[in-house]
Amino acid sequence: MLTTNATYPSVTSTFHTRLLAFVLTAIAMTIFGIKVFQYNYPLTPGTQTTTWDFEVYLDFDTANQPVRIETFVPSNSDARRVSQEQYYNGAFGLRLETDGDNGRKAIWTYRYPNDRKVLRYRARLEGETQRSPLPAEMHRPADREPPESLNDLERQAFLVWSSDMRRRSADDDSLAELILQEIFVQKDADEIEALLPVLPPPLDRLTLAAEALQSQGIRARVANGVYLDEARRRTEVQHWLEYHVEGRDKRYFIGADPKEFFTIWYGTEEMIRADGVFDFEPQVSIQPIDSSASDVVRKAARADRTPVELFSFDRLPVTTQLVYQVLITIPAGIVLLVFMRQFIGIETLGTFMPILIGIAFRETALLNGLILFTLLVALGLAMRFYLEKLRLLLVPRLGVVLIFIVICMAVIAQMFNSANMRMGLSISLFPMVILTMTIERMSIMWEEYSPEDAIKAGAGSMLVASISYLVMTNKHIEYLLFNFPELLLVLMAACLLMGKYTGLRLSEIRRFRELAKEAEPK
Amino acid sequence: MIKTWLGLRRAGVLGINERNLRLINDYNPRRLMRLVDDKTETKRLANAAGIQTPELYGLIRSPAEMRKLESLLNHPDGCVIKPANGSQGNGIQVILGPMRGGWRRSNGQRALLEDLKFHVNNILSGMYSLSGQPDIAMIEYRVKFDDVFDPISFGGVPDIRIIVLRGIPFVAMVRLPTAESDGKANLHKGGVGVGLDLVTGRTLYGMQKGKTTDIHPDTANPLSNISVPHWDDMLLMAAKAYDVTGLGYLGADIVLDKGKGPMMLELNARPGLAIQVANRMGVRPLVEACMIADIEGLDAEQRVALGKKLYREHVPDTALV
Repeated sequence: MLTTNATYPSVTSTFHTRLLAFVLTAIAMTIFGIKVFQYNYPLTPGTQTTTWDFEVYLDFDTANQPVRIETFVPSNSDARRVSQEQYYNGAFGLRLETDGDNGRKAIWTYRYPNDRKVLRYRARLEGETQRSPLPAEMHRPADREPPESLNDLERQAFLVWSSDMRRRSADDDSLAELILQEIFVQKDADEIEALLPVLPPPLDRLTLAAEALQSQGIRARVANGVYLDEARRRTEVQHWLEYHVEGRDKRYFIGADPKEFFTIWYGTEEMIRADGVFDFEPQVSIQPIDSSASDVVRKAARADRTPVELFSFDRLPVTTQLVYQVLITIPAGIVLLVFMRQFIGIETLGTFMPILIGIAFRETALLNGLILFTLLVALGLAMRFYLEKLRLLLVPRLGVVLIFIVICMAVIAQMFNSANMRMGLSISLFPMVILTMTIERMSIMWEEYSPEDAIKAGAGSMLVASISYLVMTNKHIEYLLFNFPELLLVLMAACLLMGKYTGLRLSEIRRFRELAKEAEPK
Repeated sequence: MIKTWLGLRRAGVLGINERNLRLINDYNPRRLMRLVDDKTETKRLANAAGIQTPELYGLIRSPAEMRKLESLLNHPDGCVIKPANGSQGNGIQVILGPMRGGWRRSNGQRALLEDLKFHVNNILSGMYSLSGQPDIAMIEYRVKFDDVFDPISFGGVPDIRIIVLRGIPFVAMVRLPTAESDGKANLHKGGVGVGLDLVTGRTLYGMQKGKTTDIHPDTANPLSNISVPHWDDMLLMAAKAYDVTGLGYLGADIVLDKGKGPMMLELNARPGLAIQVANRMGVRPLVEACMIADIEGLDAEQRVALGKKLYREHVPDTALV
């Protein structure tokens, strides 16, 4: 044994590799175990997500003059819950203020700031649904006064219109229905147009509806907030109406009712107001978090910075988290690729090209991606063979192919767009450098080896790309890697061990199968 | 499938993974690979050690030197254009000689100066080099191959590959061009590989495209029982290649010239495994025997003798059967 060790340097390093792989796995499994057993992190993504990560990200330039930024921030009520609030103030002063019934405001101020600044507010939200009760103040009776902002003429018109509504209804319930119908469905009615307050839509109609309901003794107000529907890096602030009629709490949403939403403030004020800043880029993002996992995180947060929390992305800004959610699945694809090459022996174009193609499929979805990729590569190859006749040098020829690919992509986008298919738009992000390199490699293979070899390698690349796409977009894998990033060490260990595999590849069993027959007679 | 796998294990068949890890990684340090990747360097080293190689007519290092091309090509016996850093025979053009208006290619077609300039330009821009780096074009003597392989080759130059581990030649084959391989002896292009008995230098069995065969596909002549002339010289050349490069695992590609005898064309630091199919045996037992052999103080000739001894221990002499 000693002599063999001395003559195979690879054998001595095998022990080292195995030890390293073992240590990495042990570290990862320890952290993983602590998270799972001590903090009860769930191992699968929850079926329903009720907790959301909410972030307001304010990015702006200052010019040495006093800055004041006000923003409404979520507040607690019976129906909704905010937890784990975090303010990232930098040098700014922060004041929290309750603006009457309208909501809670965070006010950041600074006297002489300069250059670019960033302010952030983060919280965990538990949203409301259509069935959640309205706050208690909505249950008080409304005073039946027409809105004060109207002049005499408008007041007259308002009274005529509202008494007409009243005449045509049976009770408060049907009155409310009718008013909303009149304002939001039959939009073209002239009297409504005349009564609309000067506000950006849809606030104008919502305000009119609230005022009309109030004047008929139905308590109503405009509510503003976010819909909690899916992870969004830039979510829109939404507006709706809440009213209390005949003892029941109701909400009126423009368009389809959201499954879940979160009310941040009331009234017609803007969410964010900024003075003394330039190039202001507010960004509101939301991201679902598994409910049970968030309970755990909330518990852990109270203990403040438990060691395991260092191994999670929870403290990063939500926008960055969303990027990592994609990034962190790539190692899973890489392990798969290594396996396919070392154990199965699939031929691909370029080493990690299939992974890049797989990532590109995220933009297009699998089937569309495969069709587009094949189509573009075929077109590019045709172009490449035509260029062969012109005897161009390598780099300019690559350049021509690249431009040709861009043209093809533009044409395809146009074609699909006129055919009203969304697929056309999604390819605009399809990485064309990957396409060009694929075409070049494939054409060299085509000439130097054979068309079959080139097509085989191309098909192999597509196969690996497709499987790696499926792995990288798998919900469970994404969940596990994102919540347990320590598992990356296990993936690393797997690659280390595969790097020491010296057995035959599956493809070689086929390649050398005649030699197996030779050995049989013995 | 599992039965095949077990059979291959029993036959001692070496796979790519094992070759990469146990042979290339362990015996061929990166810094030495450069010596064989660059064929001008290999030629220089080989000539210094007295190993014969085809005479170099000239180099074209940059497009500015392109005007030299025409004079370099004008040898009545033809020449070969090849990339200095090419691999697997890619980018090699064989010119048989001048003809009216241009040069005759190995497939009989006429090549214009413009065509050849384009080819050299492709070489310079790195189209055939290992990592796509800019390259140098070599123009060298065209080997007038010995007619010993005439019955079993079709156009082009048959070459002999000898694989050497720690300076011990242990397995060899001859690669024959076919119509399909367009005059090239590369197996992946459709050339025929024929195993050689390492001791006697006689051909054993053949393979083409991974399948065993006993006759040449174009000439239909039997492949076996042809003795390679100058066989011991070739083994010696291969063993010496280890001394000049220091590469523990290498494949020496040798051609046999009618007048000048064996010439080393190039060395390969990553020789493939198809040689196992050509010889109809797995090489692991031989590889392991070479790994543990004591080569301390042995010169090239003694290592050749050692290689023959080890080979005969594993492979019986078919001529006696």
